[in-house]
Amino acid sequence: MPITRINVGPVHPSTHGVIRLVVDLDGDTIENVEPHVGFLHRGVEKLVETRMYMQSTPYMEKLDYVAPMSYNDAYVAAVEAAMGIPVKERAQYIRVILLELQRIASHLLSIGTLCNDIGQMFTAFMWSFKDRDIVLDLLQEATGSRMFYVNMRLGGLHSDLPPDFEEHALNTLDYLEKRVPQYEHYIERNPIFTERMKGIGVVSKELAKNIGITGPALRASGVNYDVRKNSPYYVYDKFHFNPQVLYDGDNFSRYKVKILEIKESIRIARAALKSLPEGDALGMPVKLRSPNPKNRISIVSRELPRGECLMYLVADPQRPYRLSIRSPCFINLAAISHIAKGERFADLFGILGSLDIIMGCIDR
Amino acid sequence: MAEDNIDHESKEFADAKEEMDALVYESLKGREVKPNAIFAKLSDLTRSMPIRKKVINWSRVNSLWPLQFGLACCAIELMDFGSARIDAERKGYLLFRGTPRQCDVMIIAGWVTKAMVPEIKRLYEQMAEPKYVIAFGECATCGGPWWESYNIMKGIDQAIKVDVYVAGCPPRPENLFAALMKLQKKIGGSIESR
Repeated sequence: MPITRINVGPVHPSTHGVIRLVVDLDGDTIENVEPHVGFLHRGVEKLVETRMYMQSTPYMEKLDYVAPMSYNDAYVAAVEAAMGIPVKERAQYIRVILLELQRIASHLLSIGTLCNDIGQMFTAFMWSFKDRDIVLDLLQEATGSRMFYVNMRLGGLHSDLPPDFEEHALNTLDYLEKRVPQYEHYIERNPIFTERMKGIGVVSKELAKNIGITGPALRASGVNYDVRKNSPYYVYDKFHFNPQVLYDGDNFSRYKVKILEIKESIRIARAALKSLPEGDALGMPVKLRSPNPKNRISIVSRELPRGECLMYLVADPQRPYRLSIRSPCFINLAAISHIAKGERFADLFGILGSLDIIMGCIDR
Repeated sequence: MAEDNIDHESKEFADAKEEMDALVYESLKGREVKPNAIFAKLSDLTRSMPIRKKVINWSRVNSLWPLQFGLACCAIELMDFGSARIDAERKGYLLFRGTPRQCDVMIIAGWVTKAMVPEIKRLYEQMAEPKYVIAFGECATCGGPWWESYNIMKGIDQAIKVDVYVAGCPPRPENLFAALMKLQKKIGGSIESR
């Protein structure tokens, strides 16, 4: 059979962003997939070098626009490590709560869009966006903004939680806990969904380790690695939770890990809310002059909803000399040319959706 | 703007039109045509020029089909616009289409890099007239926070004509609703059009 070459994108309804895939097909079977990236490149790492330390936080949020607070936290943590500023205890608890809420919102969006792509399950899309909106309302209450919350400050937060936040958050978490089994019930009993997800796009344990996949995609391949557990930051070591590990490595386990992680995040957020200490949570206000850095080089690792992010910061007085970001999505995307070989063309978008990539994070 | 180079007034086309008309008259000769009631009414309405314009505008205003096309952050709010809370279908906006050939409105949601400009122009040129563009968010309006970046176009209006600008980073989904209502007013003639 002659090989057909099909060009997908850069504008395509199912690619979740502007990515171009050049697919070589033998009949309906994929021979090779070549991703082309760079349509959203805007030079964040260069822009950061021209700004003061705390002026760069809005740029960091726009890297991963589905989970902005996680990236913001990673960058602020890198600056804190460079300056040698400790984070106040109450602020640590609040950051854990907000980050887990952000993780829930991000996983909900990824599940909803995946279901929309696979088998036209528009109901799941509607459900997940409705529930995500409820979580976003909570974050808006805490930070004052709906999508981009620039609320992290050196050593703490921009503002403390509002007085009735705890009650609202606990109610929302109760609601979500009831809601997640409904998702499982609805999605996993759909024969189209299971047919198109189970046993397709298998990432073996060795392949996952060799490429450097992290996050839910790694844990779906049977590797028990979670930065929150393996090298705990903030107060994650005070709560009891398990990294969710599945062993199949296919599309379905990558989806299922996200559902299980939502449940774990609800547990962590609830435990943190119940043991929230009294005290001060306000960080250093943003001033024209920031304190001089103590460490020249600092490396900070954080577990984002999509995988492990490393921030490598070389510090100069007043502004970073160099900031290098290890983006989890970019490295997870590398798996696609390995795992899509031998699958059907129609399953390409299931694989792409379950790998859960964000183009802003890849192109930077 | 896609100004096509084909001269519709040329001899060749005029002949083709005449031939076509002759063929149609030939095929209808000796037949009794029963006109559809609705179309008959519409044709009565559209016989006089001012009313005809009104009818066409009415149908344009109430069937805005946006293109399903997202670039960056604002596309997430665009998805939220299409979901349960906003219920945009009550105004007739929610038929997001995957192909530009079926669309009237293009919503530029996100920053426009130099690599994307030819793609956006191509999509715009593939849309059928009349077509409208909404610059959704700061980046599409003026470059926004990426003003100093080396790879960003400072506003999509440098490449294609924009009808409505939406402020915000990102604008809330309600804001897009307001923008589409403004666009409806503009198409309906309430706002001075370009």
